[in-house]
Amino acid sequence: MTRQKIVRIGLSASVIGISLILLQRLLVPKYVTDVVEGRMIAEYYEESDKDHDVIFIGDCEVYENFSPQVLWDDYGINSYIRGSAQQLVWQSYYLLEDTLRYEQPDVVVFNVLAMKYNTPQNEAYNRMSLEGMRWSWSKVLSIEASMTEEENLIEYVFPLLRYHSRWQELGKDDITYMFRTKQVSFNGYYMRTDIKPAENVPEGKKLADYTFGDNAYLYLDKMVQLCKDNGIRLVLIKAPSLYPYWYDEWDEQMEQYAAQNGLLYVNLLEAADEIGLDYSRDTYDGGLHLNLYGAEKTTRYLGRILQQEYGLADRHQDARLEAEWQAKAAAYEAEIQRQGGYKEP
Amino acid sequence: MKKKVLGMMLGMAVVLTGCAGSTKVIEKDTAAAGGESGAQQEAAAETADADGDGEEKTQEAAAAEHKGYVFVYNDVTIEMDAEAAPIVEALGEPASYFEAPSCAFEGIDKVYTYGSFELDTYPIEGTDYVSSVVIKDDMVSTPEGICIGSSRQDMEGAYGTQWSDEEGMIVYEKDGMKLCFILEGNAIASIEFRSTAADQ
Repeated sequence: MTRQKIVRIGLSASVIGISLILLQRLLVPKYVTDVVEGRMIAEYYEESDKDHDVIFIGDCEVYENFSPQVLWDDYGINSYIRGSAQQLVWQSYYLLEDTLRYEQPDVVVFNVLAMKYNTPQNEAYNRMSLEGMRWSWSKVLSIEASMTEEENLIEYVFPLLRYHSRWQELGKDDITYMFRTKQVSFNGYYMRTDIKPAENVPEGKKLADYTFGDNAYLYLDKMVQLCKDNGIRLVLIKAPSLYPYWYDEWDEQMEQYAAQNGLLYVNLLEAADEIGLDYSRDTYDGGLHLNLYGAEKTTRYLGRILQQEYGLADRHQDARLEAEWQAKAAAYEAEIQRQGGYKEP
Repeated sequence: MKKKVLGMMLGMAVVLTGCAGSTKVIEKDTAAAGGESGAQQEAAAETADADGDGEEKTQEAAAAEHKGYVFVYNDVTIEMDAEAAPIVEALGEPASYFEAPSCAFEGIDKVYTYGSFELDTYPIEGTDYVSSVVIKDDMVSTPEGICIGSSRQDMEGAYGTQWSDEEGMIVYEKDGMKLCFILEGNAIASIEFRSTAADQ
């Protein structure tokens, strides 16, 4: 084969490769204007300084109900939420593994609602939890543990294979954010300032078996062990969302599990009165998720527990961190104003 | 060379767009709780019969005209995956109503409570379909005469012994829907008509 031919083949391969990369960038969902929850996992890697005291992991009940800005303002606790919609327990475990590649927090807070799921659930939610992760062995294992029967690993490696049909629904965002993106969360917190009172929240349907599944427990065990191995204190919480229904039988299991493993378990739903939650004002979707007012109250309550139980230091004296959080506070305040400012009760 | 590269790129484009009708992954209006399968749209078509012909029908006769097991209340037949709006209208004002937005997606699952039973819906592209009916007390029964408190023998007499066990629940499957019973001892404690759309 002549040198000229080799160069030609190399050039052709490069053109094809670059074309495919560009096509993929164009076609994958951008999660910037709609379904912004799909951006949150990736946003963590853009943090300039990953030296967090507290990492939250879990489903929408963490990224909608806690505000890291308040933890910093009130307690000087530097925190980040690695949350995603319907994040399953095995996804939380591998996300924690992934997080430990970058930092070692003092405390990890895990929301236990996900224990209700024992098997893979839904591709769309899987994609929002998995696609944003940087490639690592943890990501591969998380994909393997999460895939439904219709999914294939190769489609996660080459998302173009999955999203090629999106060419029919391409929008302005697909062009605007092809090579850049914009911030959608505040250290992982998804802010909403609107109000929709909780009314007529239905009771849970009767279940034949209230026992959490073996697979869910397996990954919770792994999470406990991972934290022990790394000297991290794991805290289990149930966020104060009224729906989906949290059964007493589930709560008892978590209480027992925490006691058996020497963990702190905080049911914030039971503490709603103590927190001062007013479900006629502190939720934006009828009780499923808290709005800014509810999230700030709940965060203050949890922050006090974290500081008292684990003696987390107030880091306001750290000038570098203080400067970072001042910049974050400005963006936080700007978002409140963008959403119409604080609403009076 | 340019022609070859252009040819290859064109070929790629044809291959990649050739199966453009495959299932969409991220779709705003699709109910997350009901799954993202576009096939659900085809599963939900028939409008429930609100009994406008004036004929008196027994619950069982009304049920026999529909697919799967159905629930009949005040002559309104409720079939799984049927469009919800005409059924809800025929049933009248519910005792209570709750909306459960799906996390991240714009779809809203709705829960209508009518005293003795609850009707749940899931959305697809702006239209709500029946996802389940849960019987809450013994004031109502299935068209086959089974209610909360009936015995296992009554249940098997009405529906047969060909059921499957799903996490401790007795499940009869027919025409792509499920009729689910939970027993406490020998007595039925829960009855639920359930669409299988969310399972797909």
